[in-house]
Amino acid sequence: MTEGTENAAATTPSPPAAAATAGAAADGHFETAIAGRHIAKRFGHVQALTDANVTVRAGEVVALFGDNGAGKSTFLKTLIGMIKPDAGEFVVADRPVSFSSIRDAQDAGVECVHQDLALAPDLSVVDNMFLGNEMRHRGVLGRLGVVNRREMTERADAALRELSIKLPSLKVDISALSGGQKQALAVARAVMWGHTAVLMDEPTAALGARQSAIVCDLMRTVAERGLGVLVVSHDLPRVLKVADRVTILWRGVTALEAPAADLTVPDVVATMVGYGRDNAA
Amino acid sequence: MSTVMSGRSRRAKAPDDLDPDIRAVAPQSPLRRLFRETGTWILVLDVFLVLLFGALSDNFVFWSQTNVQALMINGTEALLLALGLAMLLGAGAFDLSVGSNLVLSSVLGALTIKGIAGPPDADGNYHNLGVAILLGAVVCIGTGVVYGIVNGILIAYFDINSLIATLGTMGIGTGAALVITQGGDVTSVPSQLQSEFGLASLWGFLPYPALVAIVAAVVLWWLLRYTRYGIRTLALGSERTSAERAGIRVKRHLVSLAAIAGGLAGLAGFVDISRYGSTAVAGHVQDPLVAITAVVIGGTLIEGGKVSIVGVIWGTVLAIVLQTGLIILGFQSFYQLIAIGVVLIVAVGLDRYRVRRRGDR
Ligand SMILES: Nc1ncnc2c1ncn2[C@@H]1O[C@H](COP(=O)(O)OP(=O)(O)O)[C@@H](O)[C@H]1O
Ligand SMILES: [Mg+2]
Repeated sequence: MTEGTENAAATTPSPPAAAATAGAAADGHFETAIAGRHIAKRFGHVQALTDANVTVRAGEVVALFGDNGAGKSTFLKTLIGMIKPDAGEFVVADRPVSFSSIRDAQDAGVECVHQDLALAPDLSVVDNMFLGNEMRHRGVLGRLGVVNRREMTERADAALRELSIKLPSLKVDISALSGGQKQALAVARAVMWGHTAVLMDEPTAALGARQSAIVCDLMRTVAERGLGVLVVSHDLPRVLKVADRVTILWRGVTALEAPAADLTVPDVVATMVGYGRDNAA
Repeated sequence: MSTVMSGRSRRAKAPDDLDPDIRAVAPQSPLRRLFRETGTWILVLDVFLVLLFGALSDNFVFWSQTNVQALMINGTEALLLALGLAMLLGAGAFDLSVGSNLVLSSVLGALTIKGIAGPPDADGNYHNLGVAILLGAVVCIGTGVVYGIVNGILIAYFDINSLIATLGTMGIGTGAALVITQGGDVTSVPSQLQSEFGLASLWGFLPYPALVAIVAAVVLWWLLRYTRYGIRTLALGSERTSAERAGIRVKRHLVSLAAIAGGLAGLAGFVDISRYGSTAVAGHVQDPLVAITAVVIGGTLIEGGKVSIVGVIWGTVLAIVLQTGLIILGFQSFYQLIAIGVVLIVAVGLDRYRVRRRGDR
């Protein structure tokens, strides 16, 4: 019924799995993949963000660190249009933008791996990978909204294989997968559809050591394709190793932006808890 | 986070090309899979009940063609309502107002038909009968769709719990129908509607209304299984937040589902006047009970994410066979209500058990 109007993805053909198959970012060249400047957001009595800043250039992994409640998740949500900030500007692919929905961010090639609730447990792996971006048959069937599961399965399989993610079957419901497999899938999904930037909120929080390592490798792989990667994590040692640059959020304010190579874990922790904040910047 | 890691670090010793998380289960045989579906068991129960009632009935009248046709016509309206409800339940929303919707739609449709057809001439023929019936059908379905859209808007945009929203519109719909008819029924709808559609059959066997319901079931089955609309519907019921985060316009989608359920209720309203040649304003109080029972016993999960259209069909058959069978065996009609109520509660009990066994909610 609403098929005709609900198909932004279909009317502006975004090549599915472009990121998974092409060598470089699909949208030509840009320097700044995604940036947020002077972002402020208040929820009732809580000033979640006061002056949050981050810049992620194409081809680099930026780590966003901060204590619990520092505003990291809120910051990511403003970057993808889920939350409208009270103040601040955004840049995506070198252009000033103002997203009013996740859909807008997706259309600009920005995808996010959420801390939780990223997948639909009763849907198969394939349907989850393509949820919101379903591939349709050519011709009349496609116009009726019929999906092409065979092609979706092939692309999903290729995308997962390229990221070294192994699953027992692409046809099983997500609820049959382990926490690690689900997380890997959520990352793969974002990587498949993002062609400008991929944001990740605690992508390794539910994972074992080995799978955390895989996800960290994924970040590098994605960045090497020319996308910007912004990752929120508490796994400081591991993420510090893969990141190019680090942004530290302290009580809703960006307290530090520095190359990862210049920082050690104790430095990061100190800034995270607000220690010596004035000298560090 | 470190606790999670330490618990799993032993697995890190597994060979590199082998993911320790993979514990693939051998695929099941098609027969095994078939019998894992609740609907299949309900079909078995249907067959059993048909055999039982047939054997117990005088002269096996339960198996007579007349009775089977009556079963199919009775089942038609129940199936149309149940199908719409199943779509909504797939997305995690209820609709208690399907019966009122049917009634209101049938009242407006019947008035439209009578108004356009005008009084019959001496031979009992009407002017514009074809146009009258066509517009009557359009008004029935249109009323149903609008009713559904109102439900959908209340649920999606005003964020009112679907049970409450549709309980409210149930009262409003029935009340509005009674206000329009001033407490009575719209009678003397042209009898050609009965003879040409409501009580007519294809090849002298399959009642046309039943054919309509079967077509509706096939279309919805196809929609759920093969289309983007179906995937999104189930995603919405499975985990609404995930669907939102995947960029699906969840509210709009809910309204469209409620519109489908409403349209089917309106269609059932048209079937109603086609059968009886009049409305039956007071005759649909139990419709939501029957429809919900049919859907739930067929294996559709009440918290959404899984819809079994085939199960809805077998579930409807069960409800109707039970009703008719008890009457044929000489029980008074109110025993049906008890039977359906018991079946509903047993079905939901089994549903709970299933969810617990799946263990992820
Ligand atoms: N939707 C909301 N409504 C009210 N307060 C919120 C909301 N989201 C976040 N907050 C508050 O904003 C602050 C920052 O939260 P969050 O961004 O989740 O922090 P982090 O991800 O860094 O742990 C917290 O104090 C939190 O309670
Ligand atoms: Mg957070």
